[in-house]
This record gives sequence, C-alpha cells and structure tokens, in this order.
Amino acid sequence: MQVVGLISGGKDSCYNLMCAVREGHKVAALANLYPPKSSKTDELDSYMYQSVGADGVELYGEAMQLPLYRREISGQPKNQKADYVKTDGDEVEDLYELLAEVKKHHPEVRGVSAGAILSSYQKVRVEDVCRRLNLTPLCFLWEKEQNSLLAEMIENGVDAILIKVAAIGLGEKHLGKTLSEMAATMKTLQDKYGVHPCGEGGEFESFVRDCPLFKKRIVIDETEVFIRSPIDFFSIQLFQTITHQDDPVAPVFYLRLKKMHLIDK
Amino acid sequence: MVNFTVDEIRALMDRKRNIRNMSVIAHVDHGKSTLTDSLVSKAGIIAGAKAGETRFTDTRKDEQERCITIKSTAISLFFELEKKDLDFVKGEQQFEMVEVDGKKEKYNGFLINLIDSPGHVDFSSEVTAALRVTDGALVVVDCVSGVCVQTETVLRQAIAERIKPVLFMNKMDRALLELQLGAEELFQTFQRIVENINVIIATYGDDDGPMGPIMVDPSIGNVGFGSGLHGWAFTLKQFSEMYADKFGVQVDKLMKNLWGDRFFDLKTKKWSNSQTDDSKRGFNQFVLDPIFMVFDAIMNLKKDKTAALVEKLGIKLANDEKDLEGKPLMKAFMRRWLPAGDTMLQMITFHLPSPVTAQRYRMEMLYEGPHDDEAAVAIKTCDPNGPLMMYISKMVPTSDKGRFYAFGRVFSGKVATGMKARIQGPNYIPGKKEDLYEKTIQRTILMMGRYIEPIEDIPSGNIAGLVGVDQYLVKGGTITTFKDAHNMRVMKFSVSPVVRVAVEAKNPADLPKLVEGLKRLAKSDPMVQCIFEESGEHIIAGAGELHLEICLKDLEEDHACIPLKKSDPVVSYRETVQAESNQICLSKSPNKHNRLHCTAQPMPDGLADDIEGGTVNARDEFKARAKILAEKYEYDVTEARKIWCFGPDGTGPNLLFDVTKGVQYLNEIKDSVVAGFQWATREGVLSDENMRGVRFNIHDVTLHADAIHRGGGQVIPTARRVFYASVLTAEPRILEPVYLVEIQCPEAAVGGIYGVLNRRRGHVFEESQVTGTPMFVVKAYLPVNESFGFTADLRSNTGGQAFPQCVFDHWQVLPGDPLEAGTKPNQIVLDTRKRKGLKEGIPALDNYLDKM
Repeated sequence: MQVVGLISGGKDSCYNLMCAVREGHKVAALANLYPPKSSKTDELDSYMYQSVGADGVELYGEAMQLPLYRREISGQPKNQKADYVKTDGDEVEDLYELLAEVKKHHPEVRGVSAGAILSSYQKVRVEDVCRRLNLTPLCFLWEKEQNSLLAEMIENGVDAILIKVAAIGLGEKHLGKTLSEMAATMKTLQDKYGVHPCGEGGEFESFVRDCPLFKKRIVIDETEVFIRSPIDFFSIQLFQTITHQDDPVAPVFYLRLKKMHLIDK
Repeated sequence: MVNFTVDEIRALMDRKRNIRNMSVIAHVDHGKSTLTDSLVSKAGIIAGAKAGETRFTDTRKDEQERCITIKSTAISLFFELEKKDLDFVKGEQQFEMVEVDGKKEKYNGFLINLIDSPGHVDFSSEVTAALRVTDGALVVVDCVSGVCVQTETVLRQAIAERIKPVLFMNKMDRALLELQLGAEELFQTFQRIVENINVIIATYGDDDGPMGPIMVDPSIGNVGFGSGLHGWAFTLKQFSEMYADKFGVQVDKLMKNLWGDRFFDLKTKKWSNSQTDDSKRGFNQFVLDPIFMVFDAIMNLKKDKTAALVEKLGIKLANDEKDLEGKPLMKAFMRRWLPAGDTMLQMITFHLPSPVTAQRYRMEMLYEGPHDDEAAVAIKTCDPNGPLMMYISKMVPTSDKGRFYAFGRVFSGKVATGMKARIQGPNYIPGKKEDLYEKTIQRTILMMGRYIEPIEDIPSGNIAGLVGVDQYLVKGGTITTFKDAHNMRVMKFSVSPVVRVAVEAKNPADLPKLVEGLKRLAKSDPMVQCIFEESGEHIIAGAGELHLEICLKDLEEDHACIPLKKSDPVVSYRETVQAESNQICLSKSPNKHNRLHCTAQPMPDGLADDIEGGTVNARDEFKARAKILAEKYEYDVTEARKIWCFGPDGTGPNLLFDVTKGVQYLNEIKDSVVAGFQWATREGVLSDENMRGVRFNIHDVTLHADAIHRGGGQVIPTARRVFYASVLTAEPRILEPVYLVEIQCPEAAVGGIYGVLNRRRGHVFEESQVTGTPMFVVKAYLPVNESFGFTADLRSNTGGQAFPQCVFDHWQVLPGDPLEAGTKPNQIVLDTRKRKGLKEGIPALDNYLDKM
C-alpha cells in the first residue's frame, strides 16, 4: 500500500514509518503541520501536534528523498472532548486540509502513518480525518509497552535527541540528550511519579537526526535554549536525604534548532 | 541478680497475671531515680544500705555526674507478697492460681518490670517510649514543690496511652525537717496534690473509661507517702494494719477513715464527718502524729522516748545503728519501721494492672489493623501461644560501637533466640514490601539496669531486648510472625524537635565518620532528627538546649568519635496564612492542558492543635469527623465530608478540601493532587518549612479529555504550584514555637525573673506562691528562639536561685509580613533560605500563578 507519513520530527512518527516500511508498505510522501510563522513562540499550545523542532522538519524531505508537504496550523483546539466531530476552525481540520492536498498530488495513497502510542485523543482525531478522506490509518505503535518500545527504537537505529521537556524530574540538563542516554532516567521517573517513558503524556518531545530511512543525516550545528516561564530553582528534599534533585514545579524548557545541514551517509 | 537465676526469672515470665510492667514518671528532681533505688534495694540487686545514694538506674557517667536521668532504663524486680495480703489483689486477671498440696491458691510471687524515665522535659520522648511498653505508672511528686509542668505533661501522656497511675508523694523528710509543717498543713498539702493530680486525670480520661476508675485516692491505698532518699514510705494500708486489731475493724474499712474529712472523737471514740472540739482528723491523729512523734524524739535527742518508741513499734535496729543519733538514726529508724520497698511494691502489685488486664483495653489503642484479626485477638488476651506481636520502642546502644539492642514489649506470642520474624518499620503498609524485612532474631536478652542477661525466649506480657534487628529499624517498629499483621501504632511525642544545630567535622576528611555517627545518633534517641540538607549541611534537631547538648556530646564522644564544629542553635518555624486567598489561583500543567483552581485560608483557632493532638484524625471515619468539624468549627458538613487528605505526611495540621461541583475525571487525579499537597505542606513556599493550619480548597479543575495527558508527571507539580500560589495570595505568615516556662524561686528572685523574661520577649501569665512554702512559681511564655542561654542568664540574674523548666507549648504568629522587606519575619525567611542553600529571596507569585 502506498502511504503518506505524518511526521512531526519526533521519534514516534519516524519509527512508525519505519514499521510501515518493514510491513511492506511504500512511502509516497511526507506530511507535516508547523506553527504559524507569525506566532512569537516555537511552542504552540496544541493538543495534537508537536511544534517545537518544526524548523528541522524542512530537511526531512531531502533527508529521505521524498516529497514533503507542509501546512501552517491555523486552527485552534476548539473541540477538546474525548470524541471528535468535525468542528470548523479546529486544529484537526488543518490535518484534513493537509492530507487532502497530499491525496490530490498522490491519488495512489491509501494509508496514513501516524505515531500515536497511547493518546486516544490524537488517534480518534487522525481516524476521523482518515475516514472522511477514505484513507487507512496505520498506527503500529498503538498501546505498545513503552519501556520496551523505547528500547526497540534505540535498537533499530532511531537517533533522536530531546528538544523539549515538560514534566516533573526533567530539566534543562536533559535537553539534547539522546534516547539511549535518557532511557534509565525515564524508567526512574515512571516508577516515582508515573511519568510516561516515551513522553506520551507530553513529558518531552524529540527530534530525529538519523534513522535507516534517511538517505542523508541531519547535523545540528547550533541551538538555543528557551524557557517557558520564569522559574524558581528550588532545591528540595524528599525524606530528608539528598538523593534527588527534581525540580518540583516542573518548568518547561525547549531547544530551538537554529542551524542545521545534511551530510551524506 | 543476686537472688535469682535467669531460669527462675524465665519461669516467672510465664505467670503473666503476676507481672506488673510499670514506669516511674515525674517532674525533674522530684526524686524518681532515688525512689527507684529503694525498690531495687528491696528486690536485692544492690545492698539496702546504699539505697538513696547509688542511682542504680542512671547507667551513664554523665547521668551520675549531672544527677539527672537522660535515658530510660529497665530493671526487673521480684517481690513476694505476704500471703495475708493476697486478698488485696483484686480481679481475676491480676494473679495466677497455683496448686499447693492439692489445694488451689493464689500465687504470691510478682515479677515487676520497672522503667525509670527522665524527668527533664527535653527528654520527654524517652518517657513516651517507656510508657508504651508498660501498663502502669508510678507518678512521683515532690510534696514540697507540688504538681509541676512536667508532672502534668507525662501524666497526660500516660492517660492517653491508657496507662493506669498510682501516686507517690516524695520528699516528706524535707516537709518535716526543712519546712517544719504542722500536721494539718501537711494534710492540706497532700490533699491539694491529690486533687491536682485528679484534675489532670479527669481532663484527659474519666472513671467510666475502658480502664475503669483511675483516680488516685489515699483511702483506697493507691497513694503513697514518704521519702525516697531516706528509704521509707507508707500508704494508709500500713497504718490501718497497725490499728485494725485495736479498733476491731477490717483494714480496708479503716483506711477510709484515715483520709479526708473523717474525724475521731477521743472521748466518745466515735468517727464523724465534722470536726468538733474534741475530735481530730483521722489522718493527723493516726498517721501523722506517730511520725511527728518519732521525728521529735530522734531529732531533739530525747533518748528515753526514742528507746520507748523502738520498743513499742518493735523495731529491730542493727548493732551499729543503735549508737547513731539525729538524722542518721532517724533514717535507720524510719527505714526499719516503714520500709519503702515493701510499701511501694505492695502498692504496685495491688493497684497496677497485669498485662492480661491492661492489654484487654489497650489493644484498640495499640494495633492499627482490624480489631478482630488474629493479631488483635492475641494482643487482647495476651496469648503466649498466639502470633508474635512485639513493639520496639527504642534502641539502646551496646558496648559494641554502632550496634544497638532493640528494646520493647512482647504483646502476644513469644520472641525467641534464632526465630525468624517479620520486622516492620513505621512506613510498612500491609501487603506491600516497603520497610519490611524477614530476618532471624540473633538473640533475646533481659535488660536489667547496667547489665544484660541472655535468655532463651520471652513470652507475651514482658519487656525484652533483641540483638540483631537494629540494622533494619531506625528508631522503632513492629516485630511479628503473623504475615497479615498490621503495624502497632507509632508513638506520639509530646515534644517537638524545634531546636536545631548544624554540625560539621573539624577535619573535612572525617565526613564519612560524621554521617555514620549521625545515623547512630538518630537510632539511639527516640526523637532526635538528623537531617541531611541539600546545601550539604548536617542538621540535628532536638527538643531543647539540654537535649541537643547531650546529643552533641554523644555524637562527638560515642557515635562519630571525631572533633566537631557546631553552629549556634536555630529554631524551626512553620508557615501559615492569615486570610483567604484574594483570588482563585490558577496553575496549568507543564503540557498546559490541565488546570487547577485553588484557594487557601486559615483554619479556625484550635483545629490545628486538635489535629496534632489526635482529636481530629486522618484515620477517623469521615462522617463522624465531619460532624465534629461542623459542630466545633462551624465547617459546612457537606464540605467537611469531602476532605481529601491531611498533610504533611498524611496526618499533619493542614487540610485539603474538595469544593468542586461535578468535575469529570476528578477522582483520577486525586492521588496526584494529594501527592502535590503533601509535598507543598512539607516544604512551604516561603522557606521550605512545614505548613501549619492552612486549609486548601480545590474550586475547579479542567482536565485533558485523555487520561494519558493528565498523569502524575503533569498533575503533581501543578498541584504544588497552585498551592504555593494560594498561600502567597492569602497573606502568608511565619509561626514561631513558644515554650511554657515554669520557674520556681524564692520571692526575692521574682524581680530578676521579670527582667530576664522582658529582655527575651517573654511574658508572665501566672505568678503564685506554693502554699505552705516561701517558694514562688512563675509561669510565662517564651519564644524558643529567645531561650538559648536563658537558663544561665536567669541563674546569673537571680543569684542562682531560679530554675526554669521549658516545655514546648504552642505556635504563635510572628507579627509582620514575611513578603515585605525589612520585617522580622522577612529576615527569618531570608536567613532560613540562605542556610538551607535555597535561591535567595522569596519566589514571586508569577512563578506559580498562570493566566487563563
């Protein structure tokens, strides 16, 4: 089946595409939604899409040697219910428009690859859009055990770094770390606070630098760290020991990818 | 032991109804340890002549030097009651029946496990630990100074733990020799003390309670009089016995006439309730007069009269004693006539409960699990064949550095050398694995003052020491063989660790030794807290200056064995609010998709105290609790039923109310919000101190529709932020701890006391003369922060005549806004933050408050 790969730049969408290829599907095109250039921040308050790292996605088409279709997110998360029905001006409709455009250029496309693991909120919406466009959603990662999934991605050559952290126990020092460097930390935080090891609850977002689907590798030359709100660096104690340093108010940090280039593998 | 082998003691342990476990409690310097010595002398461990001088139970060198008890010490005594007195032991559970020559009769040997506890308030936690393992308490009161602050504190604790009290009026020799009180004055003094004690008992317990009548009353014989130092004591029973034959009435009937308003007419030989010219109070006539006569004869060197008395009372003086005169003779005389040991031991066996009696009503206070499970039933019946349930109340250092004996009480089953048992720490939750170890008990031991004796096993109702469990428990815990056993309830201390010092090793290379030493110190004292701060500081927190002084000395000399640098003592504070938040605060989760709306407000006066005192408890049934909150504190009943939790630690004096209306998925995030609440109340926003007396309300919650996006990682920090924002908008305040100071001194020194107190922000609220003495008692409130060096200051300003006792009393708002630069609370907050290595300056509200 010819499929279009929905990509955010993150590890899940990328790995799901790898799974699709492994299952014998052929990727015809890539599709991506990015935050409005007019917005002051890289970080959009979206319930659906990863927005940090959008600058890097530009390189994906060339890296994978595939046509890349992009569209600015114009809608808002208007319908926040668990189930979705078509709502005008909702950010989900941007996805509809994007996929409709892809379908126009590639009428042979039958399937959509999406990287949802546990968020039924996202899955429900992708499925709704697909149904309306008569496409088949392909979610190979759905409800996989997250620790082993993370290990599987690392093993299969997904080279991704953290570009945003937003959960208890994660901080600036974790930005730019690779998945393999983070696996142990995520396991600890899962045991302690119930943080999702794959970041499925929005705990972190990642950016894929390389994977077996890439014909060229992305090299990040320059980045800049941003912080969402003024943060008070508390030092805290649990059980009167100095065993951990988690910031209790969980500030949000993210990395803007300022300069990148591709190199041949 | 001189008289007994371990095997003989072991045999006594099986006769559980003939066991009495008791603590000796009193205000400092009222003579507990000295009195205990006279009991020990009777039981034959040290020679009788040395009683009153040895302080047998003060095992530490510094205890002997300072003449105060620091650690509580246990000793076992054996007392053989005269057969004729067996009838005074009432109740079927109070004695064992044995078969002698085919006839059943009451067994007259009693095993008494006695714990001598410290009287100084700073060591109250030792008293708490002692009370837990005993069933009865001998309350010692100096009849010259009367009931003092620490008497009340420890007695209150005893009643709360369902420990039955008996009273002993000590230092009668002082009343007679120094104060030269007359008979009626002395009676009035005694009666006032009895009344004071009963007022305390009535305040914290009542005669209809599960313990039965617990008031003390000389006429039933549970009040003793005498002098521990001189080794003599009596109850009305002793005197009643002397006269019973003459009057031709029964001993217990006559006792009623020897106390209170019963007057004996010498002419008509009749008793009446009112005094006439010819009648005299029974107590004065038959009890005090003979004693006054003896004192008069001996002290005034009336040799003939003395000889007559010796003969009349049938006193057998030893040859070398016959040549004595004055005080030494009087001591010898009184000790022969009214031996303290016999009197006290009788009083103890008659009036204190056996473990079988006591555990019947103590079980529900002691056991956290269901009251009908195997363990509960075994505790209730004190069943030696049931599952083992043992509570470890404290750790006692061994001669082997760094190792401890675990000291506690076997409530059911048997604890034996080499047996495998479950060791459950205070954080153990049934069914979980945390704080649980299954280990072999290396050795069980008998603990007797300065000595220990290994013993094969120890059955229910007895006090025991264990070797080899110290590494699994920090301060105390439960030891059991029943796999579904819940914990025994942890002890509630009457004092809080409000004074802290920071320590560091003089030689930085000694740091590991210091850390190890602090761990040992934390074990060896039931209350001391050793805290490792983020900033790298090591903090020791104790009840008061003296407590800390002893802890530091132990740390330096015994536990760490390295030279230390110590900071000046500092006080711990609490954070609270004094108004309702000026807005409903909103915080968003890191993913921005979950919102919490909250406010904070102060609790009504007294509620925080009730929570700390256990009257309002996190474990209470919620409807009953809501009713109390509605009646006493005018809370809305529906709201009061929706208290999510107490905090910090799930039990503290802050509450979280759910006042939302119809919010979806709310229950799913409850655990996360509660976790955030515990965290926020433990480490307040101002200076990381505990919060106190704050009520938080959750008004509304907006949540992401998908569960995956509202997990703990998102909600816990959000909850914490919104609580901080709520506090910052509700006029936050700092609470400082305040001591109640009781000072005894002669009138001339009172002026000096006022001067010292005024300089230290203290204020006097009561000043009274101790009736019948030239002594004054001044009671005042003094901020703990101002108490360092107070004792020394007071002594130097009163020519050494004033002795203060400071006991933590309450928290008080430090006036001033901590958020405003330049105020005193602000300075304290900034200092605390600096000391703890926190970011300088109180974090601004916008760190925690988000916009819609």
